[in-house]
Amino acid sequence: MKDIVIIGGGPSGMAAAVRLAEKGYDVAIIERKEELGGILDQCIHDGFGTKIFGVALSGPEFAGEFIEQVQKLGIDVYLKTYVKSVEASGKVKEIITVSPDGVEIIKTKSIVYAIGCRERHQFEIKIGGTRPAGVYTAGMVQRLVNLYGILPGKNVVIVGGGDVGMIVARHLYLEGVDSILVVFPEEFFAGLPRNVQQCILDFGIPYRPRTVVKEIVGKDRVEGVILVQVDEKWNPISGTEEFYPCDAVILSVGLVPYTKKLTDIGAEIDPRTKGPIVNEFFETTVRGVFAAGNLVQIFDYVDDAVESAYLAAEGVEKYLRGEERLERPIFINPGENVRTLTPHRVEWKDERPITAFMRPAIEGKAWIIVRNERGEILEKSFRRYVRPSTLERIEISRDILENAEEVFIDVRGL
Amino acid sequence: MGLKFKIEKVLKKFPYNISFEIRDNIVFLYGEVESYQDWVEIGLAVGKIKGVEGVVNKIKWKGYPEEKIRKREERRRKLYEENKDKIIGEYDVVIIGGGVIGTIIARELSKYKLKIALLEKGSDVSLGASKANNGMIHPGVAPPKNTLKRKLNVKGNAMYDRLCEELGVRFKRVGSLWLITPRTLQKYRKYLPGPLYKFVSAYVFPYIVKLKGIRNGVKGIKVIRGKKIFEYEPKATRDAWAALYVPSTGILDPYELVVALAENAQANGVEIHLNTEVVGFIKKEDKVKGVVTTKGTFLTRYVVNAAGVYADEIAELAGAREYTIHPRKGVILLFDKALKDWVRHCVTELRFPAPKHSKGGGINPSIHGNILWGPTAVEIPDKDDTSVHREEIYEVLERYKNILPEFPTNKLIRYFAGVRAPTFTEAFIIRPAKWVRNFLHVAGIQSPGLASAPAIAEYAIEQLKKMGLKLEPNPNFNPRREPIPTINEMSLEELNAKIKEDPRWGNIICPCEMVSEMEIVEAIKRGAKTLDAIKRRTRAGMGTCQGSYCTLKIAEILSRELGVPLSEIVKENNGKLFDGTVRGEKL
Ligand SMILES: Cc1cc2nc3c(=O)[nH]c(=O)nc-3n(C[C@H](O)[C@H](O)[C@H](O)COP(=O)(O)OP(=O)(O)OC[C@H]3O[C@@H](n4cnc5c(N)ncnc54)[C@H](O)[C@@H]3O)c2cc1C
Ligand SMILES: Cc1cc2nc3c(=O)[nH]c(=O)nc-3n(C[C@H](O)[C@H](O)[C@H](O)COP(=O)(O)OP(=O)(O)OC[C@H]3O[C@@H](n4cnc5c(N)ncnc54)[C@H](O)[C@@H]3O)c2cc1C
Repeated sequence: MKDIVIIGGGPSGMAAAVRLAEKGYDVAIIERKEELGGILDQCIHDGFGTKIFGVALSGPEFAGEFIEQVQKLGIDVYLKTYVKSVEASGKVKEIITVSPDGVEIIKTKSIVYAIGCRERHQFEIKIGGTRPAGVYTAGMVQRLVNLYGILPGKNVVIVGGGDVGMIVARHLYLEGVDSILVVFPEEFFAGLPRNVQQCILDFGIPYRPRTVVKEIVGKDRVEGVILVQVDEKWNPISGTEEFYPCDAVILSVGLVPYTKKLTDIGAEIDPRTKGPIVNEFFETTVRGVFAAGNLVQIFDYVDDAVESAYLAAEGVEKYLRGEERLERPIFINPGENVRTLTPHRVEWKDERPITAFMRPAIEGKAWIIVRNERGEILEKSFRRYVRPSTLERIEISRDILENAEEVFIDVRGL
Repeated sequence: MGLKFKIEKVLKKFPYNISFEIRDNIVFLYGEVESYQDWVEIGLAVGKIKGVEGVVNKIKWKGYPEEKIRKREERRRKLYEENKDKIIGEYDVVIIGGGVIGTIIARELSKYKLKIALLEKGSDVSLGASKANNGMIHPGVAPPKNTLKRKLNVKGNAMYDRLCEELGVRFKRVGSLWLITPRTLQKYRKYLPGPLYKFVSAYVFPYIVKLKGIRNGVKGIKVIRGKKIFEYEPKATRDAWAALYVPSTGILDPYELVVALAENAQANGVEIHLNTEVVGFIKKEDKVKGVVTTKGTFLTRYVVNAAGVYADEIAELAGAREYTIHPRKGVILLFDKALKDWVRHCVTELRFPAPKHSKGGGINPSIHGNILWGPTAVEIPDKDDTSVHREEIYEVLERYKNILPEFPTNKLIRYFAGVRAPTFTEAFIIRPAKWVRNFLHVAGIQSPGLASAPAIAEYAIEQLKKMGLKLEPNPNFNPRREPIPTINEMSLEELNAKIKEDPRWGNIICPCEMVSEMEIVEAIKRGAKTLDAIKRRTRAGMGTCQGSYCTLKIAEILSRELGVPLSEIVKENNGKLFDGTVRGEKL
């Protein structure tokens, strides 16, 4: 029997595995792909690891650091192994896997899910029109170009002005497609200013704000799109429709935690983050089952995903040692101007402050406030600039939570 | 001349100068109208007249795509000239169209000693209406009595257990549940004051429907009320006063069926020619001698026209034009399997009178556990228009939200549209052509075409027999077809044994639907050549992420198995999956 099985061999999964193996626990990682690294293996741009390693690495370089440690520590790694189902309700948990070696049942005391996210597709954002070849998600294009050396088309429209969309735009520009147009519904690019400069402005890539793809046109292959302008609420302005010829549409319209495997075992989901409900050590609502990384919520930086994995590793340790929990949980709720908030509750006895990740709904100078249900401010911290595209990491002191049943986090603009 | 008079009377209702001709009870209409809608309305009005056996609507509407049609005809003529002398072979029967109707007739005919070719213009079978429908095997309550449609629907429904068992196709009789709510008889509310409205809705109307079903020959219909409704369908709207339960309604995966029919027909000697479009006919007197296609000419003794929405044009090419098809699009929304416990039956809310020209539509489970909402019914001029507009998505959501008010509609994962092929008489037209002796029409096969298909095949073969086709049993006919093993449905022991046979059974390519490499390889071995063909045979790419994860992997397997470069892999028909430069090939 294993102490911990980690499902998912991306950066978060590896980080949790390494941390626990270093402490002498018997750890295994299950990964469905041929190698460890998660989505990092396709991210050949740099910008990974600035927080953890203090340098900007490429995706594969960042993953490489962890893979090396996994190997050094002799962690059991099951590659090309798919988790079919899990029985997680009891103390001994059973994971049924399928791989080219056969079906296997792995027993373990605890589980960390770190299976990452998936990309939103054309049907989730209700793009109309036909359904021909030539519509891709950004991740698919990254794999296509980086791993196979094929470009998706000659004249491309990229939907989405976040970091991923911008990075893909630059990438295709450098690979030499004939034309690129980036469209997005916001007033300006939603991603990091650094990426706007380095990916779009530096190359003069054309873009249209407050614009979305309404319909796809083409029978067997994309022949163009119908663009439409939108207002501040992203509602299409009728009469502004315009046919724009292109032969490929690339969607970079957000990532969603891939929670099917968690709902299968009965874990509860937060409709805001679309990830599992977790406590301060990233334990899900199923005892002894933890979650980390982009499965919990979408992190902007891999460094933060890794931090969530370290927290989950702490939690696993507490669980395995049978440490004490609070008599009843204290709930941490999103208050004013908060889009998403993780974790959702505090359940363990511990001294350390609680690390939370919060996505603000407003932009500008702001106070981040922790208050109780009566509106009394318990703690606050100042931010020079917050924006929805940047995840805020905050720490909440434990002592302020004493006697509270629930607290709220607000973002108040100045 | 009774018919002439009746037609004149009907045409008088329209503010246009429409002339017409009648030939053997087929009505040809000429003239010009303001809108496409008027074109449809006039055709339908004439089609309703008793004694009319077909309406050929040659009226032009404002915006009639003259140029497009001329180009299409020109293209056909050119291809005809290029291919008419290239003889591919001689056949007893040539079937045009690889939808459920073409393939099921092919399979039925393969029970006899005949040389048969099935011609399909697409890159796979089942690319027409047969891939874009609700997959419902209707019980046969809806069609009017005394119609061929009623007879074939009820009979076809009953034939499905055996057919699916033989072909290894999943099939389940989930039953229908038709809700009667305060909205059902809304149109009559003003005539039914106070408690009378509810009384008629809940205690009279259901029995009228039940009676119609019984008269149509449908068995086991039950009227239920109160709590019982929610025992059948726990999440149904609480304002349902009563419901009709019809046990014989079934569900299946329509392309799984068509693929199975095609495979079985092929195993029994039928030649299936894909990417083979019929462009004309070689005729001698009143008989077809050869079917000319983009691949060459198929000489034949009999022709079966099962070309779906194109059946009228095919008939025209053969000089057998007896009807015009007015394409009717239906949009369907598909929801994630995670919602599979939300609906048990094919549920709908009855409306009387029913909304125009639609089977009503509703919410039904798919055989794989997804939930379908729809379809709509929109008259469209373009037969190939399977686009889905955003407004249509909202229309469907709005139309059926009363049935299951709490349904999490945010779990929508796909939408699509199919085009029905009604003629103006709205009847199934299964009969020998009036002016071409060896040409069988199987046209106007709109809903419940799928449900009726097995009976349509038998009926079509009776017609061929009457036309002189000799039917000698094929002693080697094997009715059975083995499906591709599905690892998702295997026990752990079975799966383990499979993996020990070949490790590729354990290599998961599509995690959402748990599809292995070997299932994909097997689909390719059986003839799948495109990404979508694999999808339909294995479900790889049909899940929550809609192929964002597995598309490339499948393309890679296709490339390897077919021995073509990745950059040449096709999604469907002529749509290249990737159409950009390949590194190293530039300049
Ligand atoms: C295009 C793009 C650009 C980015 N750019 C940057 C950047 O510049 N800087 C930065 O810091 N961050 C960046 N990020 C974010 C960063 O890469 C992610 O936050 C990080 O990869 C998340 O790691 P993870 O381990 O949670 O998920 P993943 O990396 O997705 O790993 C999850 C792993 O689980 C496996 N798995 C899934 N299901 C199963 C199963 N059933 N059984 C077994 N295994 C399974 C998957 O195969 C995968 O290997 C970028 C992300 C993207 C998509
Ligand atoms: C939205 C919708 C929902 C429906 N729901 C149901 C339902 O739940 N239950 C039910 O019973 N019925 C239903 N139907 C009806 C059912 O789908 C049809 O009756 C049935 O699929 C018709 O099959 P077919 O073979 O006649 O036509 P098709 O499947 O359209 O096949 C015709 C074939 O002919 C080929 N073809 C055309 N021209 C040429 C040419 N020149 N050369 C070669 N090949 C050619 C086409 O490519 C096509 O593959 C529905 C229909 C729609 C549109």
